[in-house]
Amino acid sequence: MSEQKKTFVITRFDPDRDPAPRQQSYEVPVQPDWKVLDALNYIKDEIDPSLSHRWSCRMAVCGSCGMMVNGKPSLTCKDAVSDYGNRIEVAPLSNFPIVRDLIVELESFMEKLKSVKPWIVKAKERALEEGAHRQSPEQLEEFKQFSYCINCMLCYSACPVVANEPDFLGPAAIALGHRYNMDSRDEGQSERNEIFRGEGTVFSCSYANECSEVCPKHVDPAAAVNQAKFNAVIDWVTGFVTTRGGK
Amino acid sequence: MDVIRHDLIIVGGGGAGLRAAIAAAEKDPKASIALVSKVYPMRSHTVSAEGGAAAVARADDNLEMHAFDTVKGSDFLGDQDVIQYFVGEAPKELTLLEHWGCPWSRNEDGSVATRAFGGMSTKRTWYAADKVGFHMLHTLFQHSLRFPNIVRYDEYFVSKLIVDGGAVRGCAALDMREGVVRLFLGRAVILATGGGGKIFPFTTNGNIKTADGMALAYREGVALKDMEFVQYHPTGLPGTGILITEGTRGEGGYLKNSEGERFLVSRDYGVGTKAELGPRDMISRAIIQEIEAGRGIQGPYGEYVHLDLTHLGEEAIMKKLPMVRELTKIYVGVDPVHQPIPVRPVLHYMMGGVDVDIDGATTLPGLYAAGEVACVSLNGANRLGSNSLTECLVFGARAGLHALNFVRGTDGPNETVCLRQAEEEAGRIAGLRGKRGKEKMSQLRRELGIAMESGCGVYREQASMDETVHAVAALRGRYEGLGLEDKSTVFNTELTAALELGNLIAVAETIAVSAAHRKESRGAHARRDAKTRDDQNFLYHTLAHTGYSGPRLSKKPVTLGIWVPEERKY
Amino acid sequence: MARPVHPQAMTPSRAGRTRTAAPQAASGWYTQPRMLKYLLFDATGIVYLLVGFIALRVVWALGSGPEAWQELMRQLANPLYVAFHAVALVSVVFVAVRFFSLFPKAQPAHIGPVKPPPAPLIMAGLYAAWLGVTAVVTLILAGGLF
Repeated sequence: MSEQKKTFVITRFDPDRDPAPRQQSYEVPVQPDWKVLDALNYIKDEIDPSLSHRWSCRMAVCGSCGMMVNGKPSLTCKDAVSDYGNRIEVAPLSNFPIVRDLIVELESFMEKLKSVKPWIVKAKERALEEGAHRQSPEQLEEFKQFSYCINCMLCYSACPVVANEPDFLGPAAIALGHRYNMDSRDEGQSERNEIFRGEGTVFSCSYANECSEVCPKHVDPAAAVNQAKFNAVIDWVTGFVTTRGGK
Repeated sequence: MDVIRHDLIIVGGGGAGLRAAIAAAEKDPKASIALVSKVYPMRSHTVSAEGGAAAVARADDNLEMHAFDTVKGSDFLGDQDVIQYFVGEAPKELTLLEHWGCPWSRNEDGSVATRAFGGMSTKRTWYAADKVGFHMLHTLFQHSLRFPNIVRYDEYFVSKLIVDGGAVRGCAALDMREGVVRLFLGRAVILATGGGGKIFPFTTNGNIKTADGMALAYREGVALKDMEFVQYHPTGLPGTGILITEGTRGEGGYLKNSEGERFLVSRDYGVGTKAELGPRDMISRAIIQEIEAGRGIQGPYGEYVHLDLTHLGEEAIMKKLPMVRELTKIYVGVDPVHQPIPVRPVLHYMMGGVDVDIDGATTLPGLYAAGEVACVSLNGANRLGSNSLTECLVFGARAGLHALNFVRGTDGPNETVCLRQAEEEAGRIAGLRGKRGKEKMSQLRRELGIAMESGCGVYREQASMDETVHAVAALRGRYEGLGLEDKSTVFNTELTAALELGNLIAVAETIAVSAAHRKESRGAHARRDAKTRDDQNFLYHTLAHTGYSGPRLSKKPVTLGIWVPEERKY
Repeated sequence: MARPVHPQAMTPSRAGRTRTAAPQAASGWYTQPRMLKYLLFDATGIVYLLVGFIALRVVWALGSGPEAWQELMRQLANPLYVAFHAVALVSVVFVAVRFFSLFPKAQPAHIGPVKPPPAPLIMAGLYAAWLGVTAVVTLILAGGLF
């Protein structure tokens, strides 16, 4: 296996010691099939054990390892080192408060996720004896794509609105809420549409489409958010015409 | 020191942990439940499961068939009462998950679809394309958000169980964010921390699978059962070890050697007409034998065989196996529509674990375990694919309910005693942070992997197993001389990695010692120097207890039932 | 290396338990062609604002008698105004094309019982409507109708 040296410039921040984030360079002998995460692990294992970063599955499904690589939001277990030149900058995800080194504060994201009621809402809970709902493959297709989100938050880093409006629900949370709205088994559309029109309003989205460009799982959150806008408006209109409640 | 009080404490936020929390929270809305995990729940390794979850669904299937497949798959080491209970609960659990929003793949008529899987006599594996673990975990996590009495403590590393008066009273956990140890006080603790694949160098498992829960229980005197049985999944990518689901074979994929022949069909490896859908231990052994016979294909990470999906067609692959296609393109540069995938056996699952009964209770009152961390024993000497996701649900729920009952029937802990233990633990961890020493962590980890791979691989023999036992015992000693560099308190991942390494070594020792003492071949424990199964002398569960100079072994009888051990041929 | 964003971006409702560094955005980001295109898209709002002012001016002149109207027409012949209107035309076309291309995927899978038509049909419809209205208005302004 041939080796090559690349320079990794990594953002470091230890709140115990550093007044502000700083950068530190490392020379890493990279293998041709390495992902950026492999290089970070090499740095931690062999050069500087104090580098802290989140990672787990290394197969692009757990969503832990999102970071900025050369200024773009990236899932570091999926991006190949060979796609970059000899100098690679790794920084924590944009738009998030930084906890330590490459680790960001997730709590706001978890709150936003929970606020869209991401569960099946039913007027009356379905009994076990009734068995599984019937759902055709076509009905499954209507929301399936939006259920692929691994919560990696690259979309929050890419979104210009998230950068400027702290209350905005954000691409992943809205996409998840929309996923439940489009699920034929769910009866909570009115509740969620009200949330979509509320403080974290979906209408803050200006369709930059950056979220969909960076999403590693092809969820297309921009489509979800803008579809949600449509649904939210129609729900508001029908709310005047009919009595509220149910579909 | 901060004391956090709850009724029930669940360690681990994956499939089993979340299911236990939901079961308890639903049963008693007034019970306060702590879900403590070293990662956010959606990062738990359940997320990476791909193929499916098994439960009887079709009219041409019945509970007895599922039970017998599981008993036979376990090479008759599984406890038959556990298995009977499991197959009965399985359809209910997967239906519940459907109610909670899990996007199971569907047949044209709207009913839940099933696929074939290894060792199963008929199609009973419910699936969600090839991302079942991801969908199940996210469904469980999102459903758990509905319960205000489930309080999550994310990124807390539980480092010690607190035991007082002969019962578990809670645990001491390191708040990874602030770097302080906090005492969690409760009346019962459920371990749902998963297995320990990171003991081995090539594994499908993610970084977090470090046998933490097994070590926690082991150190308090609870036995680890059947540790010698570790499952090598036949089809992992060489190098990274990334899982390529059994579902590829369920949908009709072929395994071929360097000569392009389907060796499971043309040669006798005991799988009969099931061919690629034989049980995992047999397929893994077949692949290793092909490689040893010189019919493997050489690659940069060793030899491998081919998993050929080219005859399935692009449409079928995109519909049923889209994630597999993405994985192979990203990680080995292969498009399965046009080329065969390089695969080899890779460590995947641990059949063994914390010794629990059918209720999930350990021998230590107040301590429960469910999921991969536990050994109920459902899977015996070899697990059938798609049984373990269902296992997490069935036994997670059961452990949750039984732990809740235990909580109601027991009085509160002695806080002073518990606080003292927690403070001792806090002192130990503070001493570990940035400690001086000459041993390097990555070196110890590497040597552990090499030793375990050589002694506890797919095929084993006495000499290498004994060597591994000594090597791991030596590593246990060298661990005391570990040197760390990061003195920071905030999110010190070197410290948590050191704690994890300690857990890996402790549990690795139980695997090596248990393996060295089982002088027969059964299920996943295949020996070159004892090739047959010996029911006369070895039809028992191995128990490993912590001892001064390493694990002490004892035996536990297998609960037999209507099926008498017979020759395991397919 | 990085530019600050809103100081409260993605900040949790309860204060973080340790000191965090302020959220940043990567500074090289805004020079990427895709991002630049989006910024221009948003920036055309200024163009429309100015077009609005001109329209108000035209309406005011309409109501002020023929001399005011002639004066306005003379002023609007100034090459600067012509250049501005050329820019306005480019902005409108740019925004319309971008919007039309993104519009189809913003249609939910169904609204009640109604399913949206397939994407090419939606785009064809949008362009047809746009070009149709443009044709009609041009005809009116050129005196061909009314």
